[in-house]
Amino acid sequence: MLKVTNLVAGYGKVQVLHGISLEVEKGTLVTLIGSNGAGKTTTLRTLSGMIKPSAGSILLGDREIAGLDAFKIARRGLAHSPEGRRVFPTQTVADNLLLGAFPRLTGARPKNDVMADRDRMFALFPRLAERRGQLAGTLSGGEQQMLAMGRALMLEPEVLLLDEPSMGLAPKLVAEVFSIIARLKAEKITMLLVEQFAAAALEVADFAYVLENGRIAASGPAATLKNDPAVRAAYLGAAHASAHV
Amino acid sequence: MNILAQLIVSGIVVGMIYGVIAFGYQLTFSTSKTLNFGQGEALTLGALVGLSLVWFLTARGLGIGLAYIVMLPLVLMFGLAQGAVVERLGVRQAIKNKSEAGWIMATIALGIIFRNIAENLWGRDALKFPSPLPEIAIVVGPVRIQPMEVVIVLGALAMMLAVEAFNRKSIFGKAVVATASDRDAAGLMGINTGLVITFSYALSSMAAAFAGVLIAPITLAGATMGGVLGLKAFAVAIIGGLSSGLGVVVGGLILGITETFTGYYISTGYKDVPGLVLLLLVLALKPTGLFGKAVIKKV
Ligand SMILES: Nc1ncnc2c1ncn2[C@@H]1O[C@H](COP(=O)(O)OP(=O)(O)O)[C@@H](O)[C@H]1O
Ligand SMILES: [Mg+2]
Repeated sequence: MLKVTNLVAGYGKVQVLHGISLEVEKGTLVTLIGSNGAGKTTTLRTLSGMIKPSAGSILLGDREIAGLDAFKIARRGLAHSPEGRRVFPTQTVADNLLLGAFPRLTGARPKNDVMADRDRMFALFPRLAERRGQLAGTLSGGEQQMLAMGRALMLEPEVLLLDEPSMGLAPKLVAEVFSIIARLKAEKITMLLVEQFAAAALEVADFAYVLENGRIAASGPAATLKNDPAVRAAYLGAAHASAHV
Repeated sequence: MNILAQLIVSGIVVGMIYGVIAFGYQLTFSTSKTLNFGQGEALTLGALVGLSLVWFLTARGLGIGLAYIVMLPLVLMFGLAQGAVVERLGVRQAIKNKSEAGWIMATIALGIIFRNIAENLWGRDALKFPSPLPEIAIVVGPVRIQPMEVVIVLGALAMMLAVEAFNRKSIFGKAVVATASDRDAAGLMGINTGLVITFSYALSSMAAAFAGVLIAPITLAGATMGGVLGLKAFAVAIIGGLSSGLGVVVGGLILGITETFTGYYISTGYKDVPGLVLLLLVLALKPTGLFGKAVIKKV
């Protein structure tokens, strides 16, 4: 569904990604783990067009999307729940969700039943249902994270990118977020999940890539990497144990 | 007492015009953190194009009232197009290059070009804009008010409320608000934020053109009519808040009323002074803060 080959990208003259390749098959959950500053967020930003790659290929389905503007990539069905949530603070929860469906509401993607999907989001995230008329800026961090995920899902995406959905959340909310990710996986939503909580991510994912300094350092089925001594030492140390679901 | 009420009412009329122009500044600032310093010239062009349309239509036998009504949507469309041109020619590249000075110089330059065009097409003298309504004052208690002045106040309010309703209710308006609060995140929603910015410039010039055809029947229409209005409305926009809200209306009304008082109690010759003093004060007190925090952060 998503096939990335030799992707090179960065900020201005600073190169951050030095040719990474990865693949997310339809209906699977792939995780990209790595320490702080490894380039995980930069990878997702490049995939969704927030920054332009200087080389490499990104195939969404069978179409090349590398270098397209972000709005065009979204219209092709790639949804990105970005680092830091980035909900629209002055608009209501309900409007934030509608904005996620903007391409569907404006003819750029098949419309289907947007309102029914919004109700499904309220069922998936009951906290949001209670706050549907509230401005997104007044939500707690955990609620904003759920809104960002719900908003991305409103696209009916071909592929969903999730950037550290657990960041800054209390352990109980981290568990809730991961159980929602597991539910989305059961619904066969194709996902690329970026996480620092590698243990939890490897628990839920089918396949995993390890990113180090802008290069893929290891990859394999999540179950295999989970037991890999090198990965365990580097990413599944005591500091990460609290993330266990 | 009588004269006080009269001065306040007259001030409200002018103040609504400032409010509309300042509202236009707000529209582009909220989406792009840039302003069209040719906003006054957008008003001028709107009024003069409206005047030519009224001439054309009345020459073909339409009554002035009907001609005015037919002219309105055409002038609004002209304003939309003019604003879009300003954004494409003067602003888009500057935003792309993150150039602070680029859009300022470009919009000022375009404003001067538009003023020159107006001088060449309509001459240097101010022209009478035929009033679509009888020029007989309605007397309400102590206050005399022209029917056209009522139209100005109601028309200005209606226009601003229509834009607010569009922003709140329609999905396109929601996209505009989303772009204003987080352009990158709006892009992730599939919103063409470049187009949203072009659209906000179009709307902004449309508001100015509308103000032009509202005020021209009670003043005169001419190539220089917009310049000072645009400057004073800029001060109003800074005071009233550049990012959003109807603070600009309050700011406009305060300035309008101050001006009519100055005109009456001091001299009509000084009636532009309060607005320009306000502008100087604003520039003195917020020298770096005018265009938001980004500028300050860099220092
Ligand atoms: N907006 C930016 N401008 C310049 N450099 C950046 C920017 N964002 C991230 N970087 C740099 O890129 C590298 C990778 O960052 P990032 O992709 O955010 O890592 P991760 O998400 O894995 O923590 C870091 O060295 C970081 O300092
Ligand atoms: Mg990150």
